[in-house]
Order: sequence, then structure tokens, then C-alpha cells
Amino acid sequence: MNNESLYQFSSLTVILLLLAFYGGTYLMTFGIRKKNEDADAFMVSNHRVGFGMGAASMTATWIWAASFYAAATSGYTYGVSGPIHYGLWGALMILFIYPFGRRFRKLAPNAHTLGELIHARHGASSQLILALSNVLGSVISLMVNFTAAGALVSVLSPLSFQAGVIIAGFGVLLYTLWSGFRASVLTDFAQLVALMAIAIVIIPAVFFAMGGPSQLVAGLANLTPEQNNFFSPDAILNQGAPFFVAVLAYAIGNQTISQRLFAVNEDHIKPTFLTATLGYGAIVIGLGMIGLMALTLGIEPLNGDMNNLIPQMVSSYLSPFFIALFFILVIGSLSSTADSDLSALSAIIMADVYGKNIARGKADPKRMLFIGRLTMIVATVVGIVFASFSLDILVMLVFVGALWGAIVFPVIASCFWDRVTNTAFTVSVLAAMLLFCIARFELVPLTGLGGLFFELLASIGGGVIIGLMVFGFLGRTIGFIAGVLAMIAMLIFATGFLHDYTVLLASLTAYGTSTLVCVVLSLASRKPRFDFATIGRKVGNYDHTLDEKSADDRPQTPPRHTTANA
Amino acid sequence: MTLLFTVYVLVWPVLTLAVLVVICRAVMRDRRSAREENRELV
Repeated sequence: MNNESLYQFSSLTVILLLLAFYGGTYLMTFGIRKKNEDADAFMVSNHRVGFGMGAASMTATWIWAASFYAAATSGYTYGVSGPIHYGLWGALMILFIYPFGRRFRKLAPNAHTLGELIHARHGASSQLILALSNVLGSVISLMVNFTAAGALVSVLSPLSFQAGVIIAGFGVLLYTLWSGFRASVLTDFAQLVALMAIAIVIIPAVFFAMGGPSQLVAGLANLTPEQNNFFSPDAILNQGAPFFVAVLAYAIGNQTISQRLFAVNEDHIKPTFLTATLGYGAIVIGLGMIGLMALTLGIEPLNGDMNNLIPQMVSSYLSPFFIALFFILVIGSLSSTADSDLSALSAIIMADVYGKNIARGKADPKRMLFIGRLTMIVATVVGIVFASFSLDILVMLVFVGALWGAIVFPVIASCFWDRVTNTAFTVSVLAAMLLFCIARFELVPLTGLGGLFFELLASIGGGVIIGLMVFGFLGRTIGFIAGVLAMIAMLIFATGFLHDYTVLLASLTAYGTSTLVCVVLSLASRKPRFDFATIGRKVGNYDHTLDEKSADDRPQTPPRHTTANA
Repeated sequence: MTLLFTVYVLVWPVLTLAVLVVICRAVMRDRRSAREENRELV
């Protein structure tokens, strides 16, 4: 889909830009490359990544190509408050996870994935549910990022969509394959610096090139009253609220976040996540403003495709130099997320599948590394194939969203409450998925008693979301009170109309059901209370096992490390 | 109104610049302490 209305680079220029980007990134990784990488560093570096590198990596990972396009779409659709309703909630996803992240890290300081922690807490079934949700999320993310690369290349040059997908896929794989997470974090920093520097220049450049403040204010007359209203209910209900519901689910269901939680220096988790929250919000809301500018100018998106809005504005108002900068901005953002997805997927297969369920505590770090790299290659090919054939992933997206919503309470409760059992975890997630499907696909009429039943569950779900968010920052009592108040408010105000919004109803039902079932089964259980101190002893570094094994082979040499592996 | 909207649009790149400065300075510190402790940055 090459578009004549947008500025067109020659094929050679785009290939040179991509070569410069991926070649430069690849060369960067030579600075940290080791002939023999170790498995732990491949997954989480040395657990001591500093505040600067951690914040840069977290921000770069969380910003993907869709962040710009969706923020601009939100600005264009909902007017003045639109960019805020996309960027703010996306940023808060990072913020709201850090109090729980600190708990995860305290329980399992040497973990590589959240799944390992859950394995130590409950066992294989709960862990594999979490791992499955992480895998699906990362594969979808890979696919979306490669698709964005293909779309960008095809609209700004004569090259085909598939060419863009393949170059981006193999470019990312090239620099991530050898050093894994270490390469991802290092290149994230460089990519973020480029991304921020370009955003700092491009936003004011477009703003002044389109006519500046006076033109923007004059153009506000073209907006509807809803679009002119900063507190637009339309924007809140259609953009803000669905994002708000997903805040915790995205963060829990995404291994790229947990990986960084386990990688950064434990003392720096808070500043790292706070800085990433600010950085994400500023960049994404700022670029979303370009959508608002397009709206005030009365610009129609090319071919009716909202994703063309930013390229269109940049192409219309700025010189080819800025368009090249924009090209690098998008390629940088999607590559930093894609390399994190590759690292996340490899860590899940290495630790959750091989380490915990196949090797069962006797993992061979060299074989782990091989498995990790093989996973990256397979994931890249799968991502490229899915993206190239533009496969319909809507159903997959629906299920992943449901799974993420369903696991939030069981995962968090398992880390704070010693009565949650493996059965409670597993059954609650499965029950939540079942009821989610019934509501989402309207398998029963959502009117009358049926509708009321789901609205009650959804109200509990709403209370759970608010309760958990408040609990993270202000503790159990205030969190519980906030949750109950939110649930009562939902019961009063949402009952009777929520069944008309099936997506929101189904998502909230997943939260409500998993919480209800998890709490009831846990309270009914006669099992002894769990000792959280055991988690730290069960989850440890894999290469230490090798060290100890070597030491055991030399009877006169005392072991250098104590193993923490299960 | 004009001033308000100018600030509303331009505050984000300014914030981005501030975060960029914070991150770059922190990375320099990370690099220095990694060298002092004779360990790798990542």
C-alpha cells in the first residue's frame, strides 16, 4: 500500500536508514558481548541494573509504535482530552505495578519471571497459566510491532509491506540473539535517547509549522462540544474507562515488565518506575497532541486510516529531514518493544518451561541458553508470518485480555495472603475465563436475571480494581474500604445499564469472578498457611547450580555459591 | 486561551526533555559506579 499523498523516500534511502539503525544497534551490543554468556544474565542481567538504564529500558519497552498512533487517534477522535485519556492510563500502568513489584522482588530476589515465583508459591498449573498469558501477550506484541514496521515502510517508500516486516524482524533478532536481555536493556537506552530527542523536536516543529497557537485556538471552533470539553464523558467512557480497567492486567500479564522488576537494583525500583511513568506519559501524550492539531485543522486521515494521521501531519508540514527523523522514531519505538518481547519469551521458555517443568531444578545453563536463543528465532519467525499474512488476531486478543484480567487478583493475592491455594488460583482463573466468554459472546441473554447476575459480578470486579490500586499504595485497610465503596457505587450506578457495554461487562466479570472464587476456595481450604520465606529459597540463579556442580566435582575445593534452586 | 493551549501542547516536549536529562545523568552515574566496582553496566 504505497501512498502517493505522503512524502515518498526512495527504496535505497529507506534501506540505508534501516541499515544504519539496525547496524548501529548491532554494533552497540559488541561492547557488552561475551563469548560465553551466562543464562541468568541472558534473562535478567545481574539483578543490579542501575536507575538510569532501568528507567530508560522500562520507558522504551512500554512505548511501542501503536502508542503514538493510538494517542493521536484518541486526540483526533475525542479532542482536547483525547491524548490524556490514552497516555495517562498507559503511564499509570507502569506506576501502579511498582508497589506490587517491590513485593515480588522481596519474595523472590533472584527470580527471572513472575511465573517462577508463582511456581514456588503454588506449583505448575498456576505457573503455566501465567506463563501462557505472558507468551500470548508477547507474541501479539511482536506481531503488532512488525506490522507497524511494514506499514510505515510501505507508506513512506516504494518498498512492500512484507519487506518492512522482514527487515524489522531480522534486524531486531540480529542484535538481541546473542546477549538477550542485556542487549535489550543496553539498546533500549540508545533507542530511548533517540526517541525522546526526536519527540522533543518534532512536536513543536509540527505545532509551529501548522500555524502555531493562534491557528490551534482558531481551529477549536471546528470541534464538537464533546471534543472541546476537557472532562468529556464520551472520552472517559469510551477511551479512559476501558484503559483504566486494563491498568493492572497489562502490567501483571506482561513479562517485559516483570523481567525489569527482577533486573533493576532492588533499591531503585521506585525511582525507576516513577521516571518511566513520567517519560512514557510525556512522550505519548505529546505525540498524541499531533492528532488534536490535525482535528483543529480539519484534516481527514488518508484513506480513512487513523494510523496515517501522524505520518500525514509530519509529511505535510515538515521537511524530508524531519520525516526521516520520524521514521527513526517509529522504528526505534517498535524495535525496543520487540527486542523486549523476544527477551521475555526466551526467559519464559528458559525458566518457566525448561527450568521449572522439564529440568525440574537440575537445569543446565548452557542448554538453557540454547533454548532461549532458539525461542527467539522461532518467535521472530512466528511474528513475521503472523504480521506478513495480516492474520486476524481479534479472538486471540479477546482471550488474552480476559486471561490477564482473570489472573490479576489470584497473582497479587498469592503474594500477600498465605491462605491462597493452588486449587483456588487455578479454578478461579478457569471460572473467570468461562464466565468472561459467556458475557463477551452473549452466550446467555444479558437481560433480566442473567444480566443482573453479570452486573453483580462486574461490580465486584470494579471494586477489586480500585481496591487493589489503593492497596498497593496505602495498605490493606484503606484498600479494602476503597474497594467496598467502589463496589457499592458500581452496584448503585452501573446495575441496569452495564449489560449494554458487553466488552466492559465481560472484562469486569473476569476480575470479579476470579476474586470471588479465589477468596471462597481459599477460605474453605484446610491446608496449612503458606510460609512466604520458602519462595526465596526455591527461586534462584541457574548458573550457580553449575558452579556448585563444578565445585562438587572437585572434592577439595569448597563450593563458591549456595544454590537457591528448587 | 492561546497561552493555555500553547502550554498544553508544549509542556509535553519540555517534560520529555527533563526526563531525558534525568535518565542521561543517571546512566552516567550507573556507568561510573559500574567502573568503580569493576562490573558490567548491564
